[in-house]
Amino acid sequence: MPIKKKSLVKVVVVALFATLLAGCSSNSDQASDVTELTVYSGRSEEFIAPFFTQWEAQSGIKLNIRYGDSAELAAQILEEGSNSPADLFLSQDAGSLGAVAEAGLFTQLSDEVASAIPAQYVAANRNWVGVTGRARVFAYAPDRVKTLPLSVADLTKSEYKNQVGIAPTNASFQAFVTALIENKGADFAKSWLKALQANGVKIYPKNSAIVEAIDKGEISIGLVNHYYIWEVSEGLGRDINVKNGFFAAGDIGNLINVSGAGVLASSKKYAASEDLINFLTSATTQAKFVSDTHEYALIPGTAAPAGVPALDQIGAPSVDLSSLKNIKTTQDLLVEVGLL
Amino acid sequence: MPTTISDSTKVALTKGARNQRTLRGVLNGAVGIVAALALIPIGYLLVRASQKPLGETAQLLFRPKTLEVLATTSALVAGVVITTVVMGVAMATGLHFVRLPFRRLLIIPAVLPLAIPSYVFTYTWIALIPQFSGFFAAGFILSITTLPYVILATLSGLRTVDTSQIEVARSLGLTPIQTFRRVVFPQVKGHISAGALLAALYTISDFGAVSLLNVETLTVTIQNMYKASYDRSAAAVISFVLIAFSTVVVLADERIKKQTPDGNAIKAYSAKNTLINNGWLKSSVIGAIALYAFNAVVIPFYVLISRFLSNQVAIDWADLLTAAISTVSVAALGALIALVISAPLGIVLSGPSTRIGTIAQRIITVGHGLPGVVIGLAVVSIGSKLGALYQTTFLLAFAYALLFLAKSVASMSTSLSRVPNSVKDVASTLGQWMVIKRVVAPIAAPGIGLGTVLVFLTAMKELPATLMLRPTGFETLATQIWSSASINRFNEAAPYALILVLIAALPTFLISRPDKADRSYIQETINGIQRGGADK
Repeated sequence: MPIKKKSLVKVVVVALFATLLAGCSSNSDQASDVTELTVYSGRSEEFIAPFFTQWEAQSGIKLNIRYGDSAELAAQILEEGSNSPADLFLSQDAGSLGAVAEAGLFTQLSDEVASAIPAQYVAANRNWVGVTGRARVFAYAPDRVKTLPLSVADLTKSEYKNQVGIAPTNASFQAFVTALIENKGADFAKSWLKALQANGVKIYPKNSAIVEAIDKGEISIGLVNHYYIWEVSEGLGRDINVKNGFFAAGDIGNLINVSGAGVLASSKKYAASEDLINFLTSATTQAKFVSDTHEYALIPGTAAPAGVPALDQIGAPSVDLSSLKNIKTTQDLLVEVGLL
Repeated sequence: MPTTISDSTKVALTKGARNQRTLRGVLNGAVGIVAALALIPIGYLLVRASQKPLGETAQLLFRPKTLEVLATTSALVAGVVITTVVMGVAMATGLHFVRLPFRRLLIIPAVLPLAIPSYVFTYTWIALIPQFSGFFAAGFILSITTLPYVILATLSGLRTVDTSQIEVARSLGLTPIQTFRRVVFPQVKGHISAGALLAALYTISDFGAVSLLNVETLTVTIQNMYKASYDRSAAAVISFVLIAFSTVVVLADERIKKQTPDGNAIKAYSAKNTLINNGWLKSSVIGAIALYAFNAVVIPFYVLISRFLSNQVAIDWADLLTAAISTVSVAALGALIALVISAPLGIVLSGPSTRIGTIAQRIITVGHGLPGVVIGLAVVSIGSKLGALYQTTFLLAFAYALLFLAKSVASMSTSLSRVPNSVKDVASTLGQWMVIKRVVAPIAAPGIGLGTVLVFLTAMKELPATLMLRPTGFETLATQIWSSASINRFNEAAPYALILVLIAALPTFLISRPDKADRSYIQETINGIQRGGADK
């Protein structure tokens, strides 16, 4: 079979060649002036890549970006420990940042970094800073939900039986439960979760699946972040029958979480990493996040995304985002009640 | 008494025996190394699981949720095995015994779905029916994904059935169904079981379909624990539940195979005399295959192509091409590594059974049921300490080789066992490498080559380990599909999925070429697996 042999040889040659190329591009940086920076990005390529490209152009530094799920990347960093090739970790949520910070794998950022970001969106020890804001909301089908809930506690009422969706594996849901525990205590959180389960809560793998399920009519209400209705609608290429709703002012269900960034303690490219963080938190970039990804800007004075109230009008509960690092308690609780 | 053996022959024989002993030692050493490599993930899990206090471990193991997930996994595996065995055996028997038009061409639609990853099946079905979700949806997807394994395994078994017995059974007045039950089935039971084992192990380790369809199996729980709770120890504890479950499945399979009659008995093969010419049977076999092809080939292609055409966002051809080349090259390298490291074990297993061979093969089988995420994190844990080697295509390819080792070992041992023992005896007195090059290689090479293609095919579709181990910035078709689909951009995922399926279809077609159907090496691979290995 001469043809088969030849093609096998070709495949092998191509494989080896590609390996050499990949080897060259990924491990070549020991020079003193920084030419490349490695970013683990829990934010999806689709939304964040244009920002990265812009920074590459203005800094002249090439970014090696590893896209993945925030929590999985955090798990990977934990597994890598001090050997992590990452310089910067950009996460979708404060929880994953907290996990890495708790393991002592982040370095303390200097006071000059992201100085415009208000203190409530920065880790107390400056291990990480918030980049964009994400409001927890209830997404709902306007035609099917007669009475809007005023508090997350309302979701355990019989009128919402079998109609509520949550995503327990999702980091932003866990951040919310962590805030719930911090604010109202573990006992309250536990009985609330159990009451939800008793009320026939439906479990979804992620926020977007909840929004889709509401659109499909599978459920009528779900706990998600505010920008998912745009994401799902854009993905489907049509309008969807789902709206964002906020609980009464001060309710824990209106939690503002952040996507954020930290610099790995093992990184030798601290200055360049800081520069990237400064870029992401600059006024122009922040405004671009609002228009492009429908997220909230964290620096004061930037307009809110269309269709949702301004950050200070939401009636967000006062929560120390640094406390969201205590996800272990949350996860133990979720495991205990059987949601994980 | 005059000696009958000349001194020079004696010297040659002693030398030959010594050579053989040395070779055996080298081989066993190499098998030990392969076994150690295959133990990496299990060792990693042991270390992680032992970090959890015993009390917590016990609590985790016996909490209602663990039992519930175990029950879901068992039910799903049982459902998939029953569905694929009933459908697969019926379709294979029909293909083998019924006089059909274009009979050999009909095998292609029955095998082609092998090229389509379960998560692509799931995406296409969800795109078509948005409400598609839950246990039965997962059972359906995993059944259409794994049906080719049962069809191929059964077909390969049917080709070895003693047809003279069928003729006797018929002349005694047995109906075709009675004939099948009393004569054919006992002879192919082991093969069916081998196919069912593949379907079961695929179902156990699948993540894509079950997570998308909202069904929590052990693999989903493990993934959730890593992902959502950063609790690597808890994930490791649950992984041992999965290993225990896989072991039960493997043991059940071994038991069934033991009941199968000796395959080395002299038999008469003649398919011609046993072909059934019955209009009703003909149309039902063709109908069954058409129905399967409709669900598993036509629908995915229809959805992918229509999504591809309606895609509003311009396709980034450069990205697409880069991803395709990356996918092909890293999968090919993985297949090559699998080929190299499976060689010693394949050689040892092709000979008389040895303890080291059996143990190594068991380790590989058990490791084979593990989800990609476990293998991935095990390799991250060790690989990140290797400096420059970490996050290279080589390490990713190595992980592929570990994941699909059982596949290449199986094809290697089956192909090598086709080399007559007399040739091996000659090899012990003559120059080893000459004989290997001139005699063994030509006989075994096609089978080994195509077994390697099978590893290549599976590696191309792999997602969880790829996400973790690829070089930073290195995208494969699978990671691109994930990246678009994770933000619900199915249209943008479509071109990548289409290319993946088209590239994968080529080797699938090669290994099921109708003109070679009777000697198809994918079936030999499955025969090899039937002898104790496992597959995914």
